[in-house]
Amino acid sequence: MTEPLDRLSRLLLKAKAKALAEENETLAWFRRRPDYRPEFEYFLNIVGQGDLAAIADRAGRPVIALLCNQSPLELIVAAGFQPVKIASGSLAETSFSGFGWPALTCPVVKGLLTRLAFKSSSRSVPIVAPATCDWVAKFGEMARFALPAPPSVAYLDLPRFKQDPFSQKKWLSEVYKLKNYLEDLRGGPITRANLLAAIADLNAAYAAFLSLKAARLKGQLSLSWFLLIVGSFFGDTPRRWAENARRLTFKSNGSNSLAKVFLAGSPIFFPNFKLPALMEEAGLTTVADDLCSSERIFPPGQVLEDSSLPGLLASLAGRYHQGCLCPTFGDNDRRINNILGQKNEAGFTGVVFTVLKGCHPYDLESSLLEPALKERNLRFLRLETDYAAEDRQNLLTRLEAFGQSLKGEPGF
Amino acid sequence: MKIGLIRGAIQWLSFFVLTYGGRVGIHLGSALPCFACPFVPGCGGYCYLMGLQGYIGFGLALGPAQGKEILVALGWLGVFILLVLLLGKAWCGFICPFGLIQDWLTFIRNKLGLRERYLSPQGKKYLGVVKYVFLGLIVFLPPLIVAKILPPDLYLPFCNICPGKLILPLFAGETRYLAVNLDNAVTMWLSLALIVVAAVTLVGAFFKDRFYCLFCPFLALIHVLRPLTALRLVKEPTSCVGCGVCRRNCQMDVAILDQDQAQVQTIECVDCLRCLTACPMSGTLKYKFLSLTLFAASRWTRLRLRPKP
Repeated sequence: MTEPLDRLSRLLLKAKAKALAEENETLAWFRRRPDYRPEFEYFLNIVGQGDLAAIADRAGRPVIALLCNQSPLELIVAAGFQPVKIASGSLAETSFSGFGWPALTCPVVKGLLTRLAFKSSSRSVPIVAPATCDWVAKFGEMARFALPAPPSVAYLDLPRFKQDPFSQKKWLSEVYKLKNYLEDLRGGPITRANLLAAIADLNAAYAAFLSLKAARLKGQLSLSWFLLIVGSFFGDTPRRWAENARRLTFKSNGSNSLAKVFLAGSPIFFPNFKLPALMEEAGLTTVADDLCSSERIFPPGQVLEDSSLPGLLASLAGRYHQGCLCPTFGDNDRRINNILGQKNEAGFTGVVFTVLKGCHPYDLESSLLEPALKERNLRFLRLETDYAAEDRQNLLTRLEAFGQSLKGEPGF
Repeated sequence: MKIGLIRGAIQWLSFFVLTYGGRVGIHLGSALPCFACPFVPGCGGYCYLMGLQGYIGFGLALGPAQGKEILVALGWLGVFILLVLLLGKAWCGFICPFGLIQDWLTFIRNKLGLRERYLSPQGKKYLGVVKYVFLGLIVFLPPLIVAKILPPDLYLPFCNICPGKLILPLFAGETRYLAVNLDNAVTMWLSLALIVVAAVTLVGAFFKDRFYCLFCPFLALIHVLRPLTALRLVKEPTSCVGCGVCRRNCQMDVAILDQDQAQVQTIECVDCLRCLTACPMSGTLKYKFLSLTLFAASRWTRLRLRPKP
């Protein structure tokens, strides 16, 4: 009995060392880039969310880990916690085979379980999980199976049909459930004043996010930096992140790429920046995206007219449910409108859709979106990949060809 | 563009003009499609509902012998139609002084941190019928008074129970409608009804945004002309993501705002434009005068960082 455990421990230690090396390699890659600026250093220092204890120390408050975007961040901040969306973008973590998961397991969840196995300090952090895809819904059970001391997972039963009024009511009751859960953890009630202060903080972060989005739209911020800066949002308090993001200055780099694209599909998490790096190498300028690891961290719909506590909770519930474009929803057909609406603003002519192997909802979504977007004269490139580097050249070739087709070069 | 500020400024300006304008010689006529109450001493214009009751009852109903009155009545009707065609529901959202008073109550409720009470769709449907009952009073009672079937004290039947008659004159120092009129049984019951309606309206408007607009006969009258109005709210459904922020911020809880349809301006819509201000999808909602876009929803300019603690 002890021998297999020892073997598991050895494998975990190896994975941990590799994961750390991967993170350092990605950070070094960012620092070597010609568009690196010292003002980005703050974001490079907070982007890794592997060590939740370090984030708690930095934020000066305990951490609540989140599995998806639908938990109202304002409520968690109002309760005095630091929300941290946890997900794995590490090849070493996802390649770990010690638990015997199926081959096409979602790499984000698989890698996360590996990380929790070797980061025992992170296991004491409570996790809030809105039940989005099957992998997230099964995460708690998988954690109990794999980890000797599994973390506590509080599930929110996310209704899959967001436009249905009964679903909206059900979700509101789940938001109240979350409020009660947080109040139990906090040991006191969340007041209207707490919530208003948290909303002000998140609104400031949203304003900073919009300035980053505007800079990217003007070609002043590359995709990689945008994903890194926005992805680092959970590494510090929303207020401090917003202050640092607002301090960034942007200058035009003079390029006016014809190959403007929209990036959609499965999320891209630190330290895996394979795809953004390849897109940049292929000469594609990404002017907007709808990744849940990027733009969708900040869902729309945050103007709150009814500022009573129940009014604020109802508004937040709507924002994080009806306003969410996650493909796990059964009535998500208007997600295409987000792409078409942004097309008018950003002027892209192509959509790059990334499907992470094992991420079934996005796999299906790409099949639904492709014909609809092509019908509206948008070129569409579907890339199925994982965190490994083996398909780099193949992806680059396809991206370059896609870029040439967007520029209207001969042969396309 | 700060739509809320512009709208607020116009609301305040129109409140002062319509409440005190007469004192400086301003009078905008007798066909205004909003609650510009004629019972306010020194007001700057008259609500058309009073004219409608008067002209129907004492103009048109008197028959051909009163030809001049009929022409005057038709003239004011023409002015009313023209004003509605020009500004549509902006009369409700931008100009109506009684609308502004209801918005003050909402403001106070928000400051106190009290929640808004929502009506169920069924409840709204039933209450919405009341506006047609009021329209019925306006159209059918005056001829009955002229024909002496009903007592003359019922003259201007809608005005007698309109909360504006009690509340708006208070801003000009006129308090007589607060008292019960004991001249006879009819006036007593009417004045009591007025006090009750005004009290219910104030309490209702405190807990529910634009509560009285649910019953306002103007919404029904203006809506008849909606397809022809120059000023209107339009939606581009192909860029709507259905986030629902428009409906959550709508003063009248218009149920179809976030649905996939172009025509979202229902009978309840009062052109408060809170939907347009909140909408995060650029260009999805537009407020247009004919083909000229006055305001458009924008991802970039909607950052109203409120509420603040």
